[in-house]
Amino acid sequence: MAGALFTSTQQRVLALLFGQPRRDFFVTEIIDLVGMGRGTVQRELARLAESGLAVASLTGNRKYYRANPDSPLFGEICGIVRKTVGVEESVRDALQPMADGLVLALLYGSIAQGTDTAASDIDVLLVSDALTLEAAYGALAPVEELLGRRVNPTIYTTDEYRRRRAAKSGFLTQVLGGPVVVLAGSLDAE
Amino acid sequence: MPNERLDNLVRTGGLKVEAPNAGEIAGLVHSGIVRLNDAKNAGLSLESRFDPACNAAHALSLAALRIAGYRAENRYIVFQCLRHTLEFPNEKWRVLDQAHRKRNVAEYEGAVDIDENLVEALIRVAEEVRAHVSAIRAENSPFRRGDR
Repeated sequence: MAGALFTSTQQRVLALLFGQPRRDFFVTEIIDLVGMGRGTVQRELARLAESGLAVASLTGNRKYYRANPDSPLFGEICGIVRKTVGVEESVRDALQPMADGLVLALLYGSIAQGTDTAASDIDVLLVSDALTLEAAYGALAPVEELLGRRVNPTIYTTDEYRRRRAAKSGFLTQVLGGPVVVLAGSLDAE
Repeated sequence: MPNERLDNLVRTGGLKVEAPNAGEIAGLVHSGIVRLNDAKNAGLSLESRFDPACNAAHALSLAALRIAGYRAENRYIVFQCLRHTLEFPNEKWRVLDQAHRKRNVAEYEGAVDIDENLVEALIRVAEEVRAHVSAIRAENSPFRRGDR
């Protein structure tokens, strides 16, 4: 879907700047994280700054970019990024290869609440009888790299999920009592 | 055996250089193995297995760091260093890291909510650390058969 709207360089640059809209990114850092040519990325950044969608700042001889919260499109682009190339979509993509073994995948915590900052971890709850924690970390590693944030997976077996949900206390109850973003499966899948 | 990436951590203050001490390393490995065996006792509750599994993972990972000639300033660095001491991939040391973070939360907030998957992964990875550390120690042993 994102491909219909943005070129692949644009997608990656927007994912960074509007995925963590309160954070300043050092130019070299953006180039590293985006993993594309220096010239291509710098042209994209310059265009974003010219249009007012991003703002550039200089500290010493270091140039930084960040999403411009005063742009009239700020909220909309944050939303588009979140739904297409941001956290939700990146985590969903990363989990795709193991979709068969997944009964439920959801985001919880500050991401789901929309109160996350650049430093916030991405908390993921998975329900699966097939997946190991090592495999989950392996699958989610590209998300950490792309977004520059820690991803914390927790995995319950279907049996544990059922028992903990019925118990109405503890961690799972807290998670399900707060806002969650369901990425795959359904809360009632058993 | 100097390691460039571990030396970088010395410069940033996370590690200290300290010559390996065979007695200390043997003690860490012994403690790790004993606790790992406790953690594998399927008759115990998950919570009762989680604690020794965490301690085993820490003792064995610290042994790997001490063998390399370094000491850590805090617990978490010991696990991060597995990347360099044993060339562990991200997904393995992160399991140990998560276990210790959860244990910290449990200690401060009193709420222990440990899942099977974490305990099983923790034991698997700790066992792998043990196997690597044993192999390195056997290789470095003055009593190795090939050296005679």
